Amino acid sequence: MVNLTIDGKQVTVKKTATIYEAAKEVGVDIPVLCYAKKLLPYGACRVCLVEVQQMKGRLIPACTTPVTEGMVVTTMSDEIRKVRKTVLEFLLVNHVIECPVCDKGGECDLQDLTYEYEVVTNRFEGEKFDLETDIVNPLIERNMNRCVLCGKCVRVCDEIVGYGSYSFINRGFETKIATAYDRDLNCEFCGQCVSMCPVGAILPRPFKYKARPWQLNEVDTVCGYCGNGCTVTLGVLDDKVETVRFNDKTGVNDGNLCIRGRFGYSYIHSDERLTKPLLRKNGQLVEVEWQEAIDAVVTGFKAAGEKLGILAGGRLTNEEYTLLKQLASATGTKSLDHSGGVCYTGVTEGVKGALGVAASTGTFPQVEECETILAIRSDFYETHPVFGMVVNQAVKRHNAELFVVSDKKGKLTKQPHASTLLTKPGLEVHILNAMAATLLEENLAVTEGVDDLDAYKASLADATPEKASELTGVPVETIRQAARSLAKADKAAILLAYGLPYSAQSLELGKAAANLAILADVAGKQGSGLYLCGEKANSQGAIDLGVMPAAGGSGAQEMLNGEMAALYIVGEDPLTSYPDRAKVENGLKKSPFVVVQDLFLTPTAQEADVVLPAASFAEKEGTFTNAERRLQRLRHGVPSPGEAKSDFTIFSQILSTLGAIVSYTGPAAVFAEIAQSGPYAGIALSDIGPQGVVWGGETLAVTKKSLQPVIGATPVEGEYLLVTGSCLYHSGTLSTKAYGPQSVVDAPYVELNAADAEKLKVVEGDTIKVSANGTELALKAKVGKVVPSGVVFAPNHFAQGGVNRLYKGETAVAVQLRK
Amino acid sequence: MSNTVEETPEQEVDLAAANKVIDKYIDMHGALMPVLQEIQEEYGYIPEPTVHLVAERLNVYSSQIFGVLTFYAQFHLEPRGKYIIRVCMGTACHVKGAGRLGDTIKERLGVGHAETTEDLKFTAEYVACIGACGMAPVIMVNDATYGSLSVQKLDEVINKYIAMD
Ligand code: SF4
Ligand code: SF4
Ligand code: SF4
Ligand code: FES
Repeated sequence: MVNLTIDGKQVTVKKTATIYEAAKEVGVDIPVLCYAKKLLPYGACRVCLVEVQQMKGRLIPACTTPVTEGMVVTTMSDEIRKVRKTVLEFLLVNHVIECPVCDKGGECDLQDLTYEYEVVTNRFEGEKFDLETDIVNPLIERNMNRCVLCGKCVRVCDEIVGYGSYSFINRGFETKIATAYDRDLNCEFCGQCVSMCPVGAILPRPFKYKARPWQLNEVDTVCGYCGNGCTVTLGVLDDKVETVRFNDKTGVNDGNLCIRGRFGYSYIHSDERLTKPLLRKNGQLVEVEWQEAIDAVVTGFKAAGEKLGILAGGRLTNEEYTLLKQLASATGTKSLDHSGGVCYTGVTEGVKGALGVAASTGTFPQVEECETILAIRSDFYETHPVFGMVVNQAVKRHNAELFVVSDKKGKLTKQPHASTLLTKPGLEVHILNAMAATLLEENLAVTEGVDDLDAYKASLADATPEKASELTGVPVETIRQAARSLAKADKAAILLAYGLPYSAQSLELGKAAANLAILADVAGKQGSGLYLCGEKANSQGAIDLGVMPAAGGSGAQEMLNGEMAALYIVGEDPLTSYPDRAKVENGLKKSPFVVVQDLFLTPTAQEADVVLPAASFAEKEGTFTNAERRLQRLRHGVPSPGEAKSDFTIFSQILSTLGAIVSYTGPAAVFAEIAQSGPYAGIALSDIGPQGVVWGGETLAVTKKSLQPVIGATPVEGEYLLVTGSCLYHSGTLSTKAYGPQSVVDAPYVELNAADAEKLKVVEGDTIKVSANGTELALKAKVGKVVPSGVVFAPNHFAQGGVNRLYKGETAVAVQLRK
Repeated sequence: MSNTVEETPEQEVDLAAANKVIDKYIDMHGALMPVLQEIQEEYGYIPEPTVHLVAERLNVYSSQIFGVLTFYAQFHLEPRGKYIIRVCMGTACHVKGAGRLGDTIKERLGVGHAETTEDLKFTAEYVACIGACGMAPVIMVNDATYGSLSVQKLDEVINKYIAMD
């Protein structure tokens, strides 16, 4: 610790603190433009100049200068004021003043400082910038005439996003921020640069002329898309979400978001939202009053009794899951499952069998400090982009070694120091087993207190790195290095993302990842962790609360076998998102009574007998549990359209019509009950503050360490292997109703390697026919280097894509391709 | 001045030479400058596909490389002519009619400052003083200097180079 004086106040701060940070601690504000808490110090703008007694004769930038013992700092004097004013005058020479029409007006650092320092006239004169505005992409406007060259956009896109869109180009007056070859922006559209820009040079286009910042009511809530659980702060005006605001004070994401969280909000106010219950009469879905719809539902459920199957999407709140469980028991059915059950049951069973827990054992921020990170499937960045950014920072700032076991070369594989263990689809388990074998063979494994070691060792007899290498094509030495790196790291992380498109091999992967976590001493150890990352915003909540079939009941898969008398599908569109569309079609057709509760008339809803209009995440209260076990609160931002109601309200109504006693006053009362036992025991709703509450603590203790033999799959043979999954711009099927994601990727596609494209004489944008077993799809081609030759990838988000006519839940589908 | 270089992603460039240069430096830290310089020696300029290749192999962003390329005047983003005609626009030459020399080159070859003829034979460049004020107005063609030029004399110089390969 270091002691110093700032404006006469004594401060004691960390050795690594800068003058700016020290001042902040005692409540002294120093103006900054190029400084940002989450970026490395830079020192370009010079508005933070201060006086330091020990460094007389010149002014010192507070944002880059580290504190030293006994330093005496003055943050304001006539001299400082004069110099800061001069800095501002310089900035204003070329800056085009457009405050009346600039969306940053009212929260622009340059505007605020100009006002504060009363820069009314300018002693300097010069040419104004006259550069063209980049408005080619639909989401981000770049007006470089307003740029103050603080470099924050350049740095955030490099240091955190790891994309590297921008650079300073040219020299002198011509210096500006540009992309390579000064083209229009075309990137991940995460909007991090938008949120960092201190002026109106980078702005969100969908928000143009929508509201002045001070008119907005800010509502902190949790992103409704993926299991990352980012805080999104809704900017609400007149009951409408007009934008998502930058907020780095709340939540786990440090103000970082992905395109879905930042730009994916418009579906909340979509014209296509369901606003009234629908009931099938004479073959047609017609609008009815709520009471009629609920009566029909209850009559149907009663008739079905224990032959009712309930499928719950991954975006219900914990409170809603609890009510839904009560609803299931009130109807007498044992067949209730989380719609992700197709996949998560395997992963969680696998991990639970080994460690006794079915959740991530660490928290996301810990991963930044990890020395070794093993990501199973590179899709990780696509499914959980903001967690992916933590991995970027571990690699870029702390030189972490990153190993990616994957069938594609996605974003993470391009990080510095990343080693890609590129395998054929479905062979990941072989590599994980071979890594485990390496640990044992080279005596690197931690085996103390580990059960079933001998049986496990015996099962690995055939799982040598050499054999795995032969099968997968990954060099023996790379497999060994990955294992050694994991073992030698003091802090290490193993990441495994899962979700509907990844149902194959989920049990095996869960087991293999957990075995490795045991042997490399990753699970349950401070700072290290095995991370199981569910696809949807509250997948973990569904697991924690045991949303799964009771003994003797049907799970998500069996429910769709066509043997249920009634189906209740809440917040899921299995016709689009589930493997094997034909099977789902058959299941829906054969079930005499189908109720769908959703925001939109999805393909599944179109097949239903009753459709109940539900509320979005922005319209309700409750809690979500993210993929690192963090409980966070949703807050009511806007009213639901028309007569749509929250799932909570709908469940309550069905329950009371069923004759069950529901005496909850609201979600808070349900939470109090949830917190009486189980994983959330002892947590009070009021404990869930800005950073949420991580149940089980930062490091979740494992209750056992038991190795489970697991055998890798035999490779799928075929000239081209189709794999499905998530693409960065979308999450589930919901984002296909949102303007932001849709404006970048609006249709299904199939991605193939440039070499294969050449062989097939296909270029980007051509339609190609993808077929297997007599089914043929026509998809737009995307050509690149992400998938290796012989593998093709098609995302599963799009209803019109029909990928699940080919994909039936296997690791890969052998397909034919033709132009 | 516009920085926008027209998008030519389909540019056919043999990357073998660039790959060789990168091979040489791949394990060296901070090798970007020498790599770019040698690529320019090989190709006469920095073709866009080599930028993306360097980005991929040295693990830097294309945008960063573009930043470097536009910061240093030594790098050329477009192919350059076999003969580089530097027209001195220093004060002395200016007074003695360098502007007319520039116009003549434009008339005869169709290229202004920093432009290259389509057959890649000539590139014109207007430069600040080249230190031969005594013989203003002056041009240089590659390493040869031609001073005290009139429009007619310049014509002859141009004719001479047109006649050459
Ligand atoms: S939107 Fe994201 S990826 Fe695109 S330039 Fe900005 S920070 Fe980079
Ligand atoms: S565009 Fe904004 S963030 Fe980027 S350098 Fe300019 S002022 Fe800074
Ligand atoms: S989709 Fe996931 S990563 Fe993106 S902002 Fe929402 S929670 Fe964060
Ligand atoms: S904030 Fe310190 S130099 Fe910009």
